[in-house]
Amino acid sequence: MTGIDVAIDGIDGPTGPMVAAVAFGIEPGASLALIGESGSGKTLTAKSLVGLLPNGFVARGVLRVDGRAHPLDATDASWRRVRGREVSLLLQDPFTSLSPVHRCGPQIAWTLEAQAGRRLPKRELDLAVAKRLAEVNLPARVARAYPHELSGGMRQRVAIAAALASDPRLLIADEPTTALDASNQAEILDLLRALQIERGMAMLLISHDLGLVRGRTDDVLVMRHGEVVERGATATVLSSPEHAYTRALIAADPVLAIEADRHDRPDRPDRPDRPGDALGHGADIGVSGRIPLISATGVVKRFGLRTVLDGVDLSIAPGQVVGVVGESGSGKSTLARCIAGLEREDGGSIVFDGRPLAPGRRSRTPEQMQIVFQDPYSSLNPMMTIGAILREALAVGGRRPEEVPALLELVGLPADAAAKRPAQLSGGQRQRVAIARALAPRPRLLICDESVSALDVQVQAQILDLLGRLRDELDIAILFISHDLAVVRRIADTVTVVWQGRVVEHGTCAQVLDEPSEDYTKLLVAAARRDSTGRTTVA
Amino acid sequence: MLAVRVLGTAAILFVLSIIVFSMLHLAPGDLVKTLLGTRPASPEAVAAIREQYHLDDPLPVQYLRWLGGVLSGDLGESIRLQTSVSDAIAARLGLTLALCGLAFAIALAVGVPLGVQSAVRAGGVLDRAGTTLGVIGLSAPTFAVGLLLLYVFAYYLPIFPVYGGGRGPLDTLYHLVLPAVTLAAGLGAIVLKLTRTAMLRELDADYVTSARARGIPESRTRRLALRNAAIPIVTGASLLLTFLVGGTVLAETTYALPGLGTLLQDSVLFKDLAVVQALTLLVALVIAMIALLADLAYLMLDPRVRAQGGAA
Amino acid sequence: MTAALGPVGVGFRSRRRIPVTIVVCLAVLAVALLAVLLGPLLFPDATEQDILSSLMPAGSPGHPLGTDELGRDILALTVAGAASALVGPVCVAVGSMLLGILLGTLAGYERGPLDFAISRWTDLLLALPVLLAAIVVSGVFGGGYWTTVALLILLFSPSDIRIVRAGVLEQAARPYIEAAQMLSLSRWRVMFRHILPNVSSLVITNAMLNVAFALVAFSSLSFLGVGVPPGTADWGRQLTDNRAIMFDNPAAVIVPAVLIIAVACCVNLVGDWLGQRLTRSGGLA
Repeated sequence: MTGIDVAIDGIDGPTGPMVAAVAFGIEPGASLALIGESGSGKTLTAKSLVGLLPNGFVARGVLRVDGRAHPLDATDASWRRVRGREVSLLLQDPFTSLSPVHRCGPQIAWTLEAQAGRRLPKRELDLAVAKRLAEVNLPARVARAYPHELSGGMRQRVAIAAALASDPRLLIADEPTTALDASNQAEILDLLRALQIERGMAMLLISHDLGLVRGRTDDVLVMRHGEVVERGATATVLSSPEHAYTRALIAADPVLAIEADRHDRPDRPDRPDRPGDALGHGADIGVSGRIPLISATGVVKRFGLRTVLDGVDLSIAPGQVVGVVGESGSGKSTLARCIAGLEREDGGSIVFDGRPLAPGRRSRTPEQMQIVFQDPYSSLNPMMTIGAILREALAVGGRRPEEVPALLELVGLPADAAAKRPAQLSGGQRQRVAIARALAPRPRLLICDESVSALDVQVQAQILDLLGRLRDELDIAILFISHDLAVVRRIADTVTVVWQGRVVEHGTCAQVLDEPSEDYTKLLVAAARRDSTGRTTVA
Repeated sequence: MLAVRVLGTAAILFVLSIIVFSMLHLAPGDLVKTLLGTRPASPEAVAAIREQYHLDDPLPVQYLRWLGGVLSGDLGESIRLQTSVSDAIAARLGLTLALCGLAFAIALAVGVPLGVQSAVRAGGVLDRAGTTLGVIGLSAPTFAVGLLLLYVFAYYLPIFPVYGGGRGPLDTLYHLVLPAVTLAAGLGAIVLKLTRTAMLRELDADYVTSARARGIPESRTRRLALRNAAIPIVTGASLLLTFLVGGTVLAETTYALPGLGTLLQDSVLFKDLAVVQALTLLVALVIAMIALLADLAYLMLDPRVRAQGGAA
Repeated sequence: MTAALGPVGVGFRSRRRIPVTIVVCLAVLAVALLAVLLGPLLFPDATEQDILSSLMPAGSPGHPLGTDELGRDILALTVAGAASALVGPVCVAVGSMLLGILLGTLAGYERGPLDFAISRWTDLLLALPVLLAAIVVSGVFGGGYWTTVALLILLFSPSDIRIVRAGVLEQAARPYIEAAQMLSLSRWRVMFRHILPNVSSLVITNAMLNVAFALVAFSSLSFLGVGVPPGTADWGRQLTDNRAIMFDNPAAVIVPAVLIIAVACCVNLVGDWLGQRLTRSGGLA
C-alpha cells in the first residue's frame, strides 16, 4: 500500500470546531490542490498534517504514509519522527520562514543532519548543500548568503531546498507563491511540480487561487468554512464546476470573467448623459458642454526621491463610474488619496465642480467626496458602535440622527446593526457600514480604493451590486481603484490604466480591456490570463 | 545610522553637562557658603573662594572653564572629604565595579536559562514559578530585599557578614555576596522577563515552525530561536543599566559598603556639590557609552542592520 | 485608584473568571486602601515619642509589634505610614499618565516640530536613571513630599509619553482615522474621541505598572533620607530609621519591608492581568 491517505475527523479550535471531516488520498508522484479563501480552514488542515497546530487547536484523525499510520493527536515527541522524513511543510512567506541571522547553507544543512541523525563532516555537508541548491536551480554560492541578500523568489527556492532536504514522502506547500510577484509565481509552481514528479513524491498544494493550480496539480479539493464543497480532477472541476461557490471562484478569475463577460454582459439602461460610454478617449471637459465633477490635471506626487505620480490626468463627469487599474506600486491609490486630500500633491491641479482645490483636506468639504478603503477591519473605529459612527457622519452632513435606520437600509443592513460594534460584524457587513458612513454627508463623488479586494468572492459580488445600485439610485459619481481587471469591468463605465505614475491608456471598458491599444495594457491583460491558465493565450 | 546615534549621544551629554554645571548655581542658599562648607566665612576666605572658582566671570566662561577642567580630569575638591574628587571616586570605584559585575553575572546566569525554559514550557510549573519570582524581583525595592536577606542570612542563619567591605580580595568577595544577590534579584527579574518575552516571540516565528516541520531536532530549534532572541535582549540592556544605577546606591547603603553609591548619598545629604556633579556626569557618560555599545552589539548580531550600517 | 479601577476596567460579564491570585491581590490592595483612609483616624498620634517605652520587642503588652528607639508603636506607625507610602505613588502614576496623554497624543498626531521637541525632551529625561535624578535633585534642592511627587511625575512621564505616542502613531495610520479626516472632524475630536479610547488599554496598564514603580522609587527615596522629612510616618522612612535596631526588634524592619514588597507585587500583578484582559477584549468596552 503506497501513497498518502488522510482521514481528518475534525479540527477544533478554542472557540469550537474549525474544520469538519476531510478525507483524501494522494498517489506517489501525484499532486492535490486544496483551494479555499482565508478562513476556509485550509492552513489548519495543512498544519494538522505535520502536528504543528497553534496552541489550543486539536485535530482528530489519521495520516497514513505508505501504510504507516500516524494519529493526528499524537504527542510532539512522536510527531518529531514523522516530520521531515515522512512529511515536510513549505510555508507561505519566504521572508519569514528562514532565520534572518543565519546563512542559507546551514539552514539546509540542519535538515540534512537531522535526517542523518549525527553531525556530518564539513566537506561532505558543503557538497550535499550545493547539490540541493542545484536541484532548485541556485548556484552553490547562495549557501554563503544571508536570506536578506536574496530576492523573494530565491529565498523561496532556498526554503524549498531546505524542506526537501529530508526527502519527504509528502510535501505540503502552503500558499508558496502568495508573497511573490507574478513573474516568480509561475516559476516556483512549475519548479515544485517538476520536483514532485521527478522524485515520485506526493504534494499537497494549498492555494486561494483556482487559476494558479490549473495544469499544475492532478486533483483539486475546494474548501469553504471548514468543509469540502467540491472535489475532482483539476481540469474537470475548472471546466464544469458543480458547486455555486466554485463557480463564484471561477467568475472572480480575471480571464474567465473577461471571456464570459464578452458574451453576456448584463444589460444596463442606456444613459446618454453619461459621457464615458459614448465618448471613450478624450471624454474629459465638456464635449457635451458639461463641466466635469472633478478633473485632475498633471498631478505629480513624490515620496522622497521616488516619483509616484508623474503628471496624471483624470476626469470624472457627474454620475460616471471611472475605473483606475494598475499593479501595486503603480500610483493608483496615491492618485485617489491626492484627490481625496489625504495626500498633498506636489504639482498639477485638481478642480472640483469648476473650483480649484488646494492640496490637503482643509480645502475640501465632506459633501464633496468620501472614500471607502480596502480593509473593512481597520476602517471602522473598534471602540464605537455602528450607530455612533453613522450619527457622527450624519451630523457632519447636517442630517438628523433619526436617519440612521434609513441609511442602514440603503446599504442592505438590518436596523438592529446600529447597536453593534464592528467586531460583531462580518467583513462584508463592515464594508457596507463603511459605504453608509461615506454616503451620510451626501457626497457627490465616492472614491473606492480597492474597496472589495479584501472580501470573499461571493461577498465581493454583493458589494459590487450594491455600488452599482447606489450609482443608479443616488446618481453619485464613483472613482473605482482596483488591481483586478474583472472587478473593474463589472462596475466601471470608463477605464484609466496607470503604470509607473503615468496614464498609459484611457477609454471605455470594452475598448481598453478587450482591444487594448497600448503595449502595457496588452501585457496586463495577458498577464491576467497567463496567471490563471498557466499558459499564454494572447499572442 | 551610527553617526546619527553618536551625535545624538553627544548632544544629550552636552545638555546634561550644562544642567549639572548649573546645579551649583541653582542650589538654594548662598553659593559661597556652600563652597566654604564647614570653614569659617572670614572675608579673606570668601575672597579666596571667589578667586578659586572665578565666580566674578560671566556664567558661560565659568561653564567653559569647568568643562575644560572636567575634560582634563580635574573634577574639583570635595569639601566633605577634603580631597580631590577624582581621588575620592578612584578610591571607591573598584568596590562598586566588583559589586555590579558580580550582580550582573548572577543575574545572567539565572535569568537567561530560566527565561528560555519558561518560554519553551510556557504555562508550565517552571514558567509560573519563574513569572512569580520575576514579579517579586521587579516589585521589591532593592533595600527591602537587602534588609530581609540581611536579617535571614546575617542574623537568623549567620553565614554572611553584616556590614562593610572587608579586607583583601577574598574577604571583599565574601562581603559582596549578599549585596550582589540583593542587586541581582531585580536585575535577574528584568533579564528573565526580557528573555522570556523575546523567546516566546521567536518560538512563534515562521522560521521555527519551518525548522520543526522539516524534522530539525528541538535542541537545535531552541538555539536557533535564542540566537534570534539575542537581538531584543541586548537592546533591552539599557533597562538593566537604569536599574543598576539606582540599585547600587540602595544596595551599598543597605550593607554600608564604601562604594560610589554611598559616596553619592553622603555627598547629597552633605550638599558636597563637586562630588555630586562629578558622579552625575560619570553615570550619564557610562549610560550613554553602554547604550552606544548596545547599538554596536545590535549591529554585530543582526546581519540585516550590518548590511545597512556598512552602506551608510 | 487601584480599587476604583477594578470594576470600571473589568466589567461585570466575566467576574467569575477572575483568577484566585488576582482576588488575593485585590484584597491586599483593599486593606492597604483602608489603612490609607482610616490610618489618620485610628492612630492620630502615631508619631508621638515615648522614651519610657522605647525598644520593646514584638508581642509586648499594648504594643503587638513592639516599639522603636523613640518609643513609637510599630503597629500604629505602620498603619499611619500607609498614606505617605501609597498616596504619593498613585499621584505620580496619575499625573504622569495625564502628562503622557496630553504630550504623547499631541506628538503622535500633530507630528512636525512639536513632535521633535517632545521626543528630544523624553530622550533627555530617559538618559538619566529616575532614582539617580530624584536623589540628586531632591537632595540638593531640598523640598518636601509634594515637590518629590512633582519631580517623579516629571521623571516618570517620558515612558507614558512614548507609549501614548507610539499608540497614537499606530492608530493614526489606520483607515478609520482617515475616514474621520474625510468627515472634516476637528483635530481635538479625532485625537480624543477617536484615537484616545483605542490607546486607553495601553495607557491604563502602564499607569498601573507605574504605581508599582513609583511605590518602589518613593520608598527608596525615603529610605535614602530624601523626599520624606524625618519623623514622618512612612514605610521607607521606618526602614532607614530602624535599620540599627533590626536585631533588637526585627518586626520594626520586617513588617514595613514585607508590606512594601507585597503591595508593589499586587499592583504589578493586577496591572499585568488588566493589561492582558484589555488587549484581549480590544479595549475598555
